[in-house]
Amino acid sequence: MARDPKHDILFEPIDIGPKTLRNRFYQVPHCIGAGSDKPGFQAAHRSMKAEGGWSGINTEYLSIHPESDDTHRLSARLWDEGDVRNLRAMTDYIHKYDALAGVEMWYGGSHAPCMESRCTPRGPSQYASEFETMTYCKEMDLDDIEMVQGYYVDAARRARDAGFDIVYVYGAHSYLPLQFLSPYYNKRTDKYGGSLENRARFWIETLEKVKKAVGDECAIATRFAVDTLIADAGVEVEEDGLKFVELADPFVDVWDVNVGDIAEWGEDAGPSRFYRQGHQIPWQKYIKQVSKKPVLGVGRFTDPEKMAEVIRAGHLDIIGAARPSIADPFLPQKIDEGRADDIRTCIGCNVCISRWEIGGPPMICTQNATSGEEYRRGWHPEKFPKAGSDDSFLVVGSGPSGSECARVLMERGYTVHLVDDGDKIGGHINDVASLPGLGEWGYHRDYREVQLGKLVKKNKESQIALGASRLGVDDCLEYGADKIIIASGAQWNTDGTNALTHDPIQGIDASLPTHLTPEQVFAGDKPIGKKVMILNCDPYFMAPSLAQKLHEAGHEVTIATGVGLGHYMHFTLEAPNMHRMLHEFGIEVIGDVWASQAEANRIQLYPIFGDGYRREYRGPGKLPRRENTHFDWHEFDSLVLVTGRHSDCELFNGLKARKDEWAGNDVKGVYVIGDAWAPKLMADATFDGHRLAREIEGSDPQHPEPYIREVAVWGTPHMPGGKFEIEYES
Amino acid sequence: MKILVPIKQVGVLDEDFEIRDDGRDVDLDYLDFELNEWDDYSWEEALRLQEEFGDAVEIVPLAVGPEEAEEGLRKCLAKGGERGIRVWDDAMQGSDPMAVARVIAKVAEREQADMVFAGALASDHGFAQTGVSVAAQLGWSQVAVVSKLDYQPGDNSVKVNRELEGGLEEVLSVQTPAVLTIQLGINEPRYASLRGIKQAKAKPVEELSHGDLGLSDEDVGEAGSASRVRRMYLPEKGQAELIEGTPAEQAERLVEIINELKGVA
Repeated sequence: MARDPKHDILFEPIDIGPKTLRNRFYQVPHCIGAGSDKPGFQAAHRSMKAEGGWSGINTEYLSIHPESDDTHRLSARLWDEGDVRNLRAMTDYIHKYDALAGVEMWYGGSHAPCMESRCTPRGPSQYASEFETMTYCKEMDLDDIEMVQGYYVDAARRARDAGFDIVYVYGAHSYLPLQFLSPYYNKRTDKYGGSLENRARFWIETLEKVKKAVGDECAIATRFAVDTLIADAGVEVEEDGLKFVELADPFVDVWDVNVGDIAEWGEDAGPSRFYRQGHQIPWQKYIKQVSKKPVLGVGRFTDPEKMAEVIRAGHLDIIGAARPSIADPFLPQKIDEGRADDIRTCIGCNVCISRWEIGGPPMICTQNATSGEEYRRGWHPEKFPKAGSDDSFLVVGSGPSGSECARVLMERGYTVHLVDDGDKIGGHINDVASLPGLGEWGYHRDYREVQLGKLVKKNKESQIALGASRLGVDDCLEYGADKIIIASGAQWNTDGTNALTHDPIQGIDASLPTHLTPEQVFAGDKPIGKKVMILNCDPYFMAPSLAQKLHEAGHEVTIATGVGLGHYMHFTLEAPNMHRMLHEFGIEVIGDVWASQAEANRIQLYPIFGDGYRREYRGPGKLPRRENTHFDWHEFDSLVLVTGRHSDCELFNGLKARKDEWAGNDVKGVYVIGDAWAPKLMADATFDGHRLAREIEGSDPQHPEPYIREVAVWGTPHMPGGKFEIEYES
Repeated sequence: MKILVPIKQVGVLDEDFEIRDDGRDVDLDYLDFELNEWDDYSWEEALRLQEEFGDAVEIVPLAVGPEEAEEGLRKCLAKGGERGIRVWDDAMQGSDPMAVARVIAKVAEREQADMVFAGALASDHGFAQTGVSVAAQLGWSQVAVVSKLDYQPGDNSVKVNRELEGGLEEVLSVQTPAVLTIQLGINEPRYASLRGIKQAKAKPVEELSHGDLGLSDEDVGEAGSASRVRRMYLPEKGQAELIEGTPAEQAERLVEIINELKGVA
């Protein structure tokens, strides 16, 4: 199909300084866990987007000097020739697709803990980072300012030498230039502090120097948090924000604007739980009123209608995207070809971001199982190797892993029967997407539903059997499939079994009318009383989400938790607003407790650190500490059990137990994926299904094949011509 | 006891399609074919009787249609039944429900069928006439739009329910042999297994022409039809207009339209 003329505006070229973007789709800098140390990952992930139609693609934040070392998190670096060599791969691959490559030059100030380099970072004043609270910076004197500005210039030259077309001076997310601009950080009284002009001086001088050094060959970009969301304690868009844009405009070729800071950067990378598409427009839209240069910004733009609208309305010139480009690197091409229904829409879960927050393991994506696997596994999101045999497949369960596995097998040309007793594809996503704020997570199901619907038409022998009766071991063996894949998911524990004690809790029993698993809450068959206690030992969203759902339904909710409530939501940037919300709703959280026993309407809790702090050996059968003696009973009308999950693997185990009957039934293999293998993140369940479908011809498809590892190689120095041997100073 | 189940591969339109040059049907290039949804239910009803009474009941799917109709027969045979019948030849092109019913009736006689279960209608043309016409041709009793069925092999009558207006349910006894047209929802059709699909490929499908059934050229095709499609077309679209531009421009255009409709100069 042809492109909708309404979207033509998204495909108009636009000049940025000496360069031209061929359309309005632009991947802003975002972390992936590649940096300069995994050049293959970096080059393949970024150039995949160039192939998919993005006209500008950036690295993640790129450290300009060892003083800006973010270890344990993973940034790119452009400290020396070794880094130039490694990043060159990215620019070479991006340029094959007529796209521009950019770097985001980063100096963190006190937010960079310098754990590897052991340098002391510099800042406008001395303060402890509100993000890396152990780290203080040194207040810069005028020599320091000139030196650090020199670091930007040197790094810009290296960026140019590495083939980059766009060079950022990164001042969003509270990094150094913004620390000078914002009175929240800048307490100086000299010409770099006080008035707006003085606070803007460092940033503008830096832009000027970088432009002078490389501005003829590279577009100069700056990423600017136009409002730091703390009113006049920081930067406000209609005050310092606009004034700064006016002052810096002559030295900038393209503005990349957002809001917020680093400690709560989920206000920028807004999770779908709290923020809709275009949520930053109320701030971003001001910039074009004063700037003469192109303006771009993010807002998890996934819908071409919305993209065209913000450009037509004059809010932005270029659509910036990080997460939507991860979920679908081919988003621009699909819009161009009028295939909007083929877009793998970002669900806004922020699991991609969680990896950087954890400290830099390779990025993953819930929607796009190939993300991060481009280089190391050679996976292309839109291309699949042809089926390697005539085998037919029975996939039992259409949740994240089963639906993905069936989709990829069908893409490869295999005949697949996907069977689920539910009426809809998606398995437990259908429940999860019904939780408050998580409706967009349903895009995971929707994408697969649409694709499977198309694929099943291409092969009349394939079939999607929904609302089917639950298959047993005999049904599977006699089904006539060459290979059987079990994706039957997981269930919440009914007896209180949990991660702390690894045992059930005396008296907890979801067959009682007053004790409920989350599935029973979703099913709605059991009445729920006014006073609800949620017992939580799960570190992710289920307990906070159920608390919100039940509060909104008029219940009085208390959460007793043995693990950090929604701990993983710190990594997905959902935690701050989740905690604000629980507070606002008056939901009491009893932390650091666990349950010793329960009855129909009350539960006994104890402090998990209630036992003695002194440890000594007291002989067999005796605890090496004083036993806890503190127990409190709490009453409830209904108890919700978010204590842990277990695989629903009865079918798989049943099939394994009858392995001797496989050959007689012409069954060549039986595999288990997703939560049925072990409960895991939706992203990892999706990966399981995808991986099995790609590796099904291998000798042991159940277990992953090795992937290409990118590690330092002994005997190969990082610096060209440098040394690698062990040599001590003498 | 034999049940004949006529089925149809219906045309499903692509998103974009074109009308044939003669203006009397959709261009075949724009059609996908799949088994008529109603026939899934009539075949399932036959399968259930066959399962319940075993060898006492034989069920045979029948398609009156060109080669692609065989796919529908194989789809049925993947779930059960041992053989199918397909009747077609060039002279049958353009047959209306009456002409198709004449063919089905001949097959029912040849097979010595006791009952015919037909879908209440086909989703593409929606005549809802073929089944009842078969009964007329055979002189059998018939009940249309059956929503429940109760039958024991050997009985000379079958008890059926029909849904009427206002949620009313009508229960009838009808003499066999009979033609029943089956309504959606009478049962929950099963899915075929991969084994069933593989086995169906080997099951015999007898291919017959109208001549084999003792019908003449005048009995089939347009000659044997009581109706003839004169024209098929897309009606003119309504007067919707997408108003574009800035809010001010949109408001201006809106006022213009209102004035036009009101007849203000």
